[in-house]
Amino acid sequence: MVYKYTLEILAGIAIVVFCALFLYTSATMSGAEFAGSDNVGSGLIAKLSGIPVENFHPLIPQWEPPSGEIESCLFALQAAFGGMVIGGVFGFWMGQKKKA
Amino acid sequence: MHIMEGFLPWQWCLIWWIIALPCLIFGIYQLKKVLRADREALPLLGITGGFIFILSSLKLPSVTGSCSHPTGTGLSTISFGPWITAVVCAIVLLFQSLFLAHGGLSVLGANIVSMGIVGPLVGYALYRLLRDTSVNIYITVFLVTALADMFTYVTTSLELALAYPAETGGFVSSFILFMGIFAVTQVPLAIVEGIVLALVFKYILTLKPDILIRLGVFSKEKIEAARSEI
Repeated sequence: MVYKYTLEILAGIAIVVFCALFLYTSATMSGAEFAGSDNVGSGLIAKLSGIPVENFHPLIPQWEPPSGEIESCLFALQAAFGGMVIGGVFGFWMGQKKKA
Repeated sequence: MHIMEGFLPWQWCLIWWIIALPCLIFGIYQLKKVLRADREALPLLGITGGFIFILSSLKLPSVTGSCSHPTGTGLSTISFGPWITAVVCAIVLLFQSLFLAHGGLSVLGANIVSMGIVGPLVGYALYRLLRDTSVNIYITVFLVTALADMFTYVTTSLELALAYPAETGGFVSSFILFMGIFAVTQVPLAIVEGIVLALVFKYILTLKPDILIRLGVFSKEKIEAARSEI
């Protein structure tokens, strides 16, 4: 029973260390833009192939969120959907356990 | 880990789609079988799938000064195996390529192979290796999750290096360059993801040990032992 909350504590420490690492990196690293690694990867593709990034065109036409706001809205929706399901199921299970 | 739409030559798109499709079809078949055998598996599928939805939408900063996202495939891999995980990943990736311009329809096959197939497969191999040993359940979940996450990004690097070998050094030097962007960024994320999902697994284990036993995720003795530990 001594170790009851070991995992919770470990997870807490991991998240705090992760945040500290971020703060340290953003304060000390010059040129850290925190762009997506997807975009950094595309930059490398452009360098390796010698074709500028602007010259890559979608093979299949694609809708793009017109602004960062709309993109973050859709990402939040995606996460909210996942959170809803998880919360619902855990609640359902807790109710089942209480009843049993 | 998304390869952006248009950044992969059509020949490679086709190859990855050809690899991904049979895995998806087998995954759908397995999913039907599991759900028909045991309706109680549906809530568990909801939780493990829900974490793929949440974690793959979180863009987290990393030590390399760029951002990347975890995959969240570990729990689903352990509970349902890599093929069903591939189906859930395909749904998430389809959503992202249709509405978010992350990835795209032509590169969807390549992205499914990295996030939904190779990553979970490597994780699943490790899980099978550790399942019947005396290694602690939570350590197993941690390692499997972190490995599935890492190998997703290793696979993305591989896919890009195959399509874009460097002029000098060819495939290998190009692979190292892509690994430098994708895999190194991912290391801290994979560790945190592993710990967090191990914690989630503890809650599943506390609330619903019977479904894990019925699905044969871990042996009854091992689950009982893990329950008495906490």
